Amino acid sequence: MIEYLFINFGKYFLMLKRIFARPGKFSIYYRQTITEVENLGINSFGIVVIISVFVGAVITIQTNYNIENPFLPKYLVGVTVRDSLLLEFSSTMVALILAGKVGSSIASEIGMMRVTEQIDALEIMGVNSASYLILPKIIASVIFFPVLCLISMIVGLFGGYLSCFLGKIIPPSDYIYGIQYAFYPHYISYALTKTVFYAFIIVTISAYYGYHVEGGAIEVGRSSTKAVVHSSVLILLANLILTRILLQ
Amino acid sequence: MIEVKNVFKSFNGEFVLNDVSVLFEAGKCNMIIGRSGSGKTVLLKSIVGLLEIDRGEIWYDDRLFSKLILNERQEIRQKMGMLFQGGALFDSLTVEQNVMFPLNMFTNQSYREKLKRVNFCLERVRIERANSMLPAELSGGMRKRVAIARAIALNPKYLFCDEPNSGLDPETGIVIDKLIKEITVDFKTTTVINSHDMNSVLEIGDKVVYIHNGYKCWEGTQEEVLHTNNPDLNDFVFATTLAQQIKKQGI
Ligand SMILES: Nc1ncnc2c1ncn2[C@@H]1O[C@H](COP(=O)(O)OP(=O)(O)OP(=O)(O)O)[C@@H](O)[C@H]1O
Ligand SMILES: [Mg+2]
Repeated sequence: MIEYLFINFGKYFLMLKRIFARPGKFSIYYRQTITEVENLGINSFGIVVIISVFVGAVITIQTNYNIENPFLPKYLVGVTVRDSLLLEFSSTMVALILAGKVGSSIASEIGMMRVTEQIDALEIMGVNSASYLILPKIIASVIFFPVLCLISMIVGLFGGYLSCFLGKIIPPSDYIYGIQYAFYPHYISYALTKTVFYAFIIVTISAYYGYHVEGGAIEVGRSSTKAVVHSSVLILLANLILTRILLQ
Repeated sequence: MIEVKNVFKSFNGEFVLNDVSVLFEAGKCNMIIGRSGSGKTVLLKSIVGLLEIDRGEIWYDDRLFSKLILNERQEIRQKMGMLFQGGALFDSLTVEQNVMFPLNMFTNQSYREKLKRVNFCLERVRIERANSMLPAELSGGMRKRVAIARAIALNPKYLFCDEPNSGLDPETGIVIDKLIKEITVDFKTTTVINSHDMNSVLEIGDKVVYIHNGYKCWEGTQEEVLHTNNPDLNDFVFATTLAQQIKKQGI
């Protein structure tokens, strides 16, 4: 078990070393990165928006339900919704969702290329296959996942507003006041920093499992499951460590 | 020229290649023949470095390839072309993009020049009007031919083909064989071909190496293959009834 862990760690770091060693022509990498921004980022836009709206709305309702106390001001609902979204939901929860969506697709894409010898074909041409396949994905997601995080914050807050407005939970003006009350801009940079780390974790872990598949279709499926599970666990671990470091 | 010296390769303790030594000369079609499962693909993949050998040496001209680190190997690999048994086309790219891929990677030609080269290569393997098709839309034989076109796009110095004409009809098979022969002679490539098809051996094989259960049992020329006393090889060469009858009546 311990040995297995160490072997995987070793192989993972060797892969990272290869990814960043001697990438090929800039123009090709640039084009690949643009494609990946579309594949990994823009195509995840929909799911992030939908989930954020609903979660924003639900947190509003629940918070109001929990602090139904005449002595507490209503705008506290807004404060709580904002802090939950900014501190945890839009970074960590969204990252977990992306690990499911993006991670499995990366692992199965690269895994399929491995079992059909397409990666071997790249190697034979003298292409650094790890770098060619994975680096554009890393760059694309490290740039674009924070954008998704910001979008999730905005849309989540809007979801909360909608539920106040449509569901008459609290007066919308209280909500608006609440989300501005005692606002620390540091929360945003904290969330974005976390997201950058998460993006790196999701892409490299998933790519690792895809890249090292041996066998056929069943192993590809298994590797994509592993990719999702292991990147999710690592995200939670990173969350703990980063929170300890960044929120002193 | 490629030289393989005393190469051993095992999987999980079981040896698939045993002390294989052989010299492949430039400008010649070197054929590796043997039964299914005898270790031809493993030998080819060991030569190109996709599999790490346990022991032995592999030389590309004057460079000891098996001891080079990856970055140094990449330089030599840019002069290689390889046709995989399954084709290994990039399935997200069209036929044209597949053949253009090595040109994009390693040349600075304009799109027009590249396209010209792509069409030239595709013509040579008799693929027409399929530039914008995806590999999934092609027949097995077409995929193979596109893969050959991709392998020759950069005029490789070393060409490796794993069963270039399996899955093709005999006529197209011969066309492919002749194409490989032409390229080999024209560009003085060192060509190594895996095959279990005696037709192509007799058609284009300059040098023939027979692998049996991971041992190199025999090597010789095209004519010698027909007059060998090696019982295993004899069984292999004259496996079909037709071949046996021809043999009986004297070659
Ligand atoms: N990755 C691997 N792991 C374990 N054993 C392997 C592996 N690859 C090949 N082998 C074994 O090596 C032996 C030789 O296989 P190889 O693919 O070289 O056969 P071949 O001569 O190319 O056959 P064919 O003509 O059918 O393609 C087989 O017995 C196979 O089981
Ligand atoms: Mg084979």
